[in-house]
Amino acid sequence: MSNPLPAEAVRKELPAKVTRLAWILFVLGVVFSGAGYLLDAKRSALNNIVGFMFLASLASGSVFLVALEYLAGAVWSVPMRRVSEFLAGLMPFVPLLAIPLLFHLRDVFQWTHAGTVASDNVLASKSSYLNVGFFIARFIGVFLVLNLFCFLFTRNSKKQDVTRDPRLTTINVRLAAVFMPVFAFALTIVAVDWAMSLEAHWYSTIFGVYYFAGTVLAGLAAATYIIVRFHESGFLPGLRRDHFYSLGALLFAFINFWAYIAFSQFLLIWYANLPEETFWFLNRWRDGWEYVSILLIIVHFVVPYFALLTQDSKMDPKRLKLMSLWILFAHLLDIYWLVMPSYGGGVPLSWMEIGFPILLVGLVMIVLSFKLKRNNLVPIGDPKLDRGLSFRL
Amino acid sequence: MSTAAIDYTQEIPVVEGKPKAAEIDATVAAPLDEFPKRAWWITFAVTASMLAFGAYCAFMTVFEGLGLWGINIPVAWGFDITNFVFWIGIGHAGTLISAILFLLRQHWRTGVARFAEAMTIFAVICAGVFPILHLGRPWLPLYLTPYPNQHGIWINFMSPLVWDVFAVSTYFTVSLVFWYTGLIPDLATLRDRTTGKVKKTIYSIFSLGWRHSNRHWRHYERAYLILAGFATPLVLSVHTIVSFDFAVSVLPGWHSTIFPPYFVAGAVFSGFAMVQNVLIFVRQSFKLKHFITLNHLEKMNQIMIVTGSMVAYAYLMEFFIAWYSGNEFERFAFINRALGPYAWAYWVMVCCNVLAPQLFWIKKIRRSIPAMFVIGVLVNVGMWFERFVIIITSLHRDFLPSSWGMYYPTIYDIGILIGSFGLFFTLILIFVRVLPVVSIFETKAVTEGAQPGHH
Amino acid sequence: MNEGPLHSITALFDTPDEIIRAAEEVSRAGYTRYDVNTPYPVRGMDKAMRLRQSRLGIFTLIFGLLGTITAVGFMTWVTLVDYRLVIGGKPFWTWPAFVPIAFEVTVLLASVLTAVTMIVLYFKFPNISHPLHDTPYMKQVSSDKFGISIQANDPKFDEAAVRQLLRSLGGKEIAPIYFDAEGLSHGQRLFDPKFLGALVLTAIVVSGATYFSFNKLLFMQPFSWMSEQNKLKAQMPSDFFKDGIGMRPPVEGTVDRGFLPYPFKGKPEEAGRNLVNPLLPTPAVLARGKAKFLTFCSPCHGNFARGDSRLQGQFPNPPTLHSDKVRNWPDGNIYSVITDGQNVMPSYASQISREDRWAIILYIRALQRAQNAKESDFK
Repeated sequence: MSNPLPAEAVRKELPAKVTRLAWILFVLGVVFSGAGYLLDAKRSALNNIVGFMFLASLASGSVFLVALEYLAGAVWSVPMRRVSEFLAGLMPFVPLLAIPLLFHLRDVFQWTHAGTVASDNVLASKSSYLNVGFFIARFIGVFLVLNLFCFLFTRNSKKQDVTRDPRLTTINVRLAAVFMPVFAFALTIVAVDWAMSLEAHWYSTIFGVYYFAGTVLAGLAAATYIIVRFHESGFLPGLRRDHFYSLGALLFAFINFWAYIAFSQFLLIWYANLPEETFWFLNRWRDGWEYVSILLIIVHFVVPYFALLTQDSKMDPKRLKLMSLWILFAHLLDIYWLVMPSYGGGVPLSWMEIGFPILLVGLVMIVLSFKLKRNNLVPIGDPKLDRGLSFRL
Repeated sequence: MSTAAIDYTQEIPVVEGKPKAAEIDATVAAPLDEFPKRAWWITFAVTASMLAFGAYCAFMTVFEGLGLWGINIPVAWGFDITNFVFWIGIGHAGTLISAILFLLRQHWRTGVARFAEAMTIFAVICAGVFPILHLGRPWLPLYLTPYPNQHGIWINFMSPLVWDVFAVSTYFTVSLVFWYTGLIPDLATLRDRTTGKVKKTIYSIFSLGWRHSNRHWRHYERAYLILAGFATPLVLSVHTIVSFDFAVSVLPGWHSTIFPPYFVAGAVFSGFAMVQNVLIFVRQSFKLKHFITLNHLEKMNQIMIVTGSMVAYAYLMEFFIAWYSGNEFERFAFINRALGPYAWAYWVMVCCNVLAPQLFWIKKIRRSIPAMFVIGVLVNVGMWFERFVIIITSLHRDFLPSSWGMYYPTIYDIGILIGSFGLFFTLILIFVRVLPVVSIFETKAVTEGAQPGHH
Repeated sequence: MNEGPLHSITALFDTPDEIIRAAEEVSRAGYTRYDVNTPYPVRGMDKAMRLRQSRLGIFTLIFGLLGTITAVGFMTWVTLVDYRLVIGGKPFWTWPAFVPIAFEVTVLLASVLTAVTMIVLYFKFPNISHPLHDTPYMKQVSSDKFGISIQANDPKFDEAAVRQLLRSLGGKEIAPIYFDAEGLSHGQRLFDPKFLGALVLTAIVVSGATYFSFNKLLFMQPFSWMSEQNKLKAQMPSDFFKDGIGMRPPVEGTVDRGFLPYPFKGKPEEAGRNLVNPLLPTPAVLARGKAKFLTFCSPCHGNFARGDSRLQGQFPNPPTLHSDKVRNWPDGNIYSVITDGQNVMPSYASQISREDRWAIILYIRALQRAQNAKESDFK
């Protein structure tokens, strides 16, 4: 099968109006979130956590997909891998997004208050883990490590464009093998520290896996949307329905996986009916949160399930574009549902909640535009590229 | 760390040696036509004896009652449920190889899928023996099903033990249908090449008149895809429901939300170890090395690293969250596992499940038959002990120290375990002589030159 | 073998490319009643033969939904309508608990019925015999060749043209296939002796198994509902004891329930000194004492304890209880006499409870006072 893409670098640019929109959204987002912090620090801090965890999952999911491709020796995703690499380039911005939070830890985390901890046996017993010093150390450690891996993967991949050295693939495969366990623990720490400890009496062993399911979905959905758009704009001409089918099938599979994990967590806690565990779900079933919970099931599972059920729907570019955006929104809703109930009393929904999401949309588009201009869109040096382009189901 | 050149531009051939279609027929059908050699008879004698001993122990259990076993209060579930979960777990590799790898378009599955599916069915048979035997009156299993009766009451649909009944029966039935559907074209091929009249009649009946028509192939392929598409979530759901047996309780060490994916990962882990172990012998004995290649075995070992790591993650998460919870009973449960009277079982489990499969990172070990066989055995031992540790340590010391007790299995417990291995291997031995171990038509479809070039 | 009419003309090809091209040409030539036989599914053949996609998925969807509805509906009916039970403090209708079973039943019905539909609807089971079976063509196609068979009932069929077409496509071993005349003239399948024989055999096996289960097995241990048990019932012999008798007297030292010791056996004076009447002479107690006295004491001692019963005059005479001796006896002494007996009077301990004895004594005291009334008693 002949390679329709040129052997030299493929440099593209996003249209100027897209980049302009991106900056507008970003600035608006900063303004809204900043204003939010001035008006209601706790609420804004919680929104900050939602935004931070969303971006973290988008970036982590992308680097995970890159690593997975190397480790599994997958071929179909090679022509499109750069998109995930660009998205992994968001990783340095994730800790930056958490900086305002570091000044507002006391507003959201009960265990930061020495008095509360002293009078609460349960909090006291876990204070060797839940204390500000260790918390920040973990935060720094996790994002140092994640950024290091993002850097290494993308650097090797870029170098390969120039040197065409297949040994770089082998190095990345080995890197991926080391990355996976590290990623598992890093992601678990992010989930446990920033979301689970908001309600510090509660615990669930599957929480890391739950966040992981959403993370993979975020990485997949974002990549799928961008890939389909790029293909339609002519940036990635070599792709076929076979490639899209794989993306659609993975989206479908992980929707089901998310639902499975979410339901397992719910069923076990509901069944045993232990008050020290059920309160977390009860907090999400009163004061209006019950509507959000039901909405989450419908938006995150029921609709995507039926929308991506048939073979044809998985290959259809229009359907894929719609469902990837839908799933990204669903993932945001999921994190919102995880985090915001600790605000207490009702479902906060106003202009204050929009700040961070539009900031992130702007940021992602800015980073994508930047990377696209300065980097090769297709991994021309990858030895598996030809096989990837001629891939058939 | 050598970066010896791997050629990424070439597909690794799924079938080695570029055999012609007729050769594939001859090689795969050979064991069905030959009289078994001595090695087969000796193995059969061993496994049949194991089965006979187990059958005797089972018979005595039914006749005399469960007092013959070591179970008592507080440990009311002992070897019985350990073995049940163990065997169901083994079965999962078969469905995974067959269904999930099919959905992921991994062509290398063709060499091993048929055998793995058969193994699933046999493993589920072995597993299904235990819930029946551990009933007080095993001859009344109908009571487990929702039939209208004169008491006017129904089974408890809230109980995970009832969910198990539905899950395991569904799993067995669907696996059987899936396996049989895959066999139909091969049975037709055998029908058309066999000379014995009895064999021909049997093959004719079971091949349902298949005549390799493309008009039928298109429905067949769709049905196979649908069955694979259902079998995949089914696998996940079955071991999830088995994990619910424990996780819905309030017992420390049992009530943990990560149980469902943890059990599924563990099941795939132990299942692949068993498949790999048995295939090493099958490919050797029946000259199937070109179809069940070293690459197949290597891929299975790689899957063992992945699933083994998931299991290790689950161990760590459980331990961490038990501490994090601040709940003294949870914390004690885990300290007791590591340092209590069954600590030896715990450490066997950790060494076999966490440490042993990590050796597969080394390519030489991954591709060495003796090494992978040993690691496979260790993984199976470790996974059996994992179920043992989970069940026995949480039961024998829970909330109230005055209720603590020990569990000691009796010869009947051990005998039935040995018998289940006997049953499993006996069924495999019979299978390899009666049906084609490798899927003939699927293998033909993935050899080089089997599909038309693109125009 | 009898040859019936012509079914089709077949040709064999060696490579998948050839058969794809052949299929394309045959369908382009306008033939519709033809088939391609390959040992494995060849990619692109559906397109070459201009076949529509299989509609099997629709059946799957229907069966799956049927499974879900049946499972959820049944469980809802059981838990909400038929027999409501509070289990684990949960509400009657617990939908989370229904999910696992509903899922399993959905998968079961969808998978199994899809396979059955495929076999019955598309493969036309049980009408599975076909002229292509048992032909050299089928043997080749089952193994390593690719074949095409153009049927005689196609509207465009012309034997010479078909042969020419197949030859021009490079087909080898171009051969005609005939219907099996025997098969065509087969009688009513229903009365096929083999089928009837199978039915009879099934009937014998099933009825034998049923008879055995219900008439024999259910009376055998351990299936016999614990109707025979290894326990000793009344009047059964037993090997366990040396004398072979199952029923045993109480062991040495056994005491009755409610047993209280009586230390004054054979010592009426001590009893008289130490025992005190615990009862008070209330009307109820006296009535009880009277009743018991009339039952047990009056036959010998007379209705008013005057020693004037029908035994009066016999030797030895039951004495009157109004003698000075008895009147001066403490209550405990009388109690001792009732409990142990005296002379010819037997022990009444087993007939009169301890409390009743004291009641009787109170009644005797009443009688004694009545029979020896003094002037002062009337005041």
